[in-house]
Amino acid sequence: MTKLQAYFQTDWQAMTATDWVGLIINVVIFIALLVLFYWVFNPKNKQKLEAHRHLPFRDEGKSSGKKHG
Amino acid sequence: MQEQQQYSFEVVKWFTYMAVVYFVIGTGVGVWIAAELAWPALNFDNPYISFGRLRPVHTNAVIFAFGGSTLMASAYYVVQRTSGVRLWSDKLAWFSFWGWNLVILGAVITLPLGLTQSKEYAELEWPLDILIAAVWLAYTFNFIMTLSIRKVSHIYVANWFFLSMMVMVTYLHVVNSLVIPVSLWKSYSIFSGVQDAMIQWWWGHNAVGFFLTAGFLGIMYYFVPKQANRPVYSYRLSVVHFWGLAFGYVWLGAHHLQYTALPDWTGSLGAAISLAMIIPSWGGAINGLFTLNGAWDKLRTDYTLRFLVVSLAFYAMSTFEGPVMSAKTVNALSHYTDWTIGHVHSGALGWVAMVSVGAIYHMVEKLWNTKVYSVNLINIHFWLATIGTVLYITSMWVSGIMQGLMWRAYDEYGNLTYTFVESLAEMFPYYAMRTVGGFIFFLGACLMLFNITVTIRKVETNPASDMSNVAVI
Repeated sequence: MTKLQAYFQTDWQAMTATDWVGLIINVVIFIALLVLFYWVFNPKNKQKLEAHRHLPFRDEGKSSGKKHG
Repeated sequence: MQEQQQYSFEVVKWFTYMAVVYFVIGTGVGVWIAAELAWPALNFDNPYISFGRLRPVHTNAVIFAFGGSTLMASAYYVVQRTSGVRLWSDKLAWFSFWGWNLVILGAVITLPLGLTQSKEYAELEWPLDILIAAVWLAYTFNFIMTLSIRKVSHIYVANWFFLSMMVMVTYLHVVNSLVIPVSLWKSYSIFSGVQDAMIQWWWGHNAVGFFLTAGFLGIMYYFVPKQANRPVYSYRLSVVHFWGLAFGYVWLGAHHLQYTALPDWTGSLGAAISLAMIIPSWGGAINGLFTLNGAWDKLRTDYTLRFLVVSLAFYAMSTFEGPVMSAKTVNALSHYTDWTIGHVHSGALGWVAMVSVGAIYHMVEKLWNTKVYSVNLINIHFWLATIGTVLYITSMWVSGIMQGLMWRAYDEYGNLTYTFVESLAEMFPYYAMRTVGGFIFFLGACLMLFNITVTIRKVETNPASDMSNVAVI
């Protein structure tokens, strides 16, 4: 066994249910993040996403709601 | 949306003003205990004002009283303005206001009496913990229901950050506060030993990650574009920033427990994820700073914007420094020293307080439909805050590194070169310098309270006053 193999060696038999749940959640989240990054930076989605930048400016000039708190 | 759309801002006004009041109290207590460390006689042999009891008063006042009030004010403000509706329930909002202030009052009474769970940033005893949970759930539920009745289809990214904070803090607070009460003001954690330590720092670091970072990033993503009058640089980057932060932060707590009974791999994992977190954190900081592209000249005249922009510089700096300190090699030197205190305050004073101050100055003008009484005072406040922060953190860096080096220095026979007391004596100039830095920062907070109080009084005594009411002193 090389040093690298020894470093990554895992006793699969000793894995508890909690270990497996944690491992699976971890891997799923990692993959989900990769998919998200691909989706976000896909040029096809640029216009759709960047349109939301202006949302805070949609209520310019609206009443401050005095006497209605 | 109709022009006559009304918002529910009265409770936001109260949270905003109380945030400034708590800002002064929290930093004032901080300066006092900093002075006690430099000149211990200042505790006057009175247990109620000793460092050990006042320190949690300081941390609870600045994090939960000032920070919490700022977060509640800004979340209630932003969710209404970005959803185009008033709050779902005014009654729940007022319950969160009075409940939160009751928690703070409870902290101010119980902590000097020595009634504590001894968990960092979670010192309050179980009756107050239950009240915190009830108030927090009311705040969260009201926020979610307001989002559910919004008049725009998209939920703006600032609200994502606020919501992640609310969900995670609920989860963290409840788990970390699980105790067995033995009397009204005494309880014991259901966890023990290393598990207790792990749960404590899972909470401790996520109080930083979600309460002091995610929540204040929500503030950043709304108030920087609004104050600069430019949309955020990249919405796509904000999406990546959010999800990277939301999934990454929960892993970091173990880096507080390097070289302890905690399994070694857990600390390594905490450090590795900490280093990975530099990427989304810097992505967010760059996103905020680049929002000013083409409008950097505004910084010459807009002092509120200066607070917001400098806060981002400190955010970038402290989110680089933290991961570096979590790496085992650096941690061996830095842990248990004042370097940690310097790091915490570069985040607390430089990032959290500055972004809060910028948001509060912005909100005061919008909520009371006026201009702040004195722009010059904001400018002076900005320089006091910046100089105070820099003086504070540099003195703690020097002090901390000196401590670390002295504690691990050996002579040729393998004996420690210095005693602990010798290292303590060497700290005095830096503790004094830290007190001066903190005092300068505190003066800025006092100016802010004065400036905002006068602004509000002018509006309240003369309701006809409007945007033309600008005083220059």
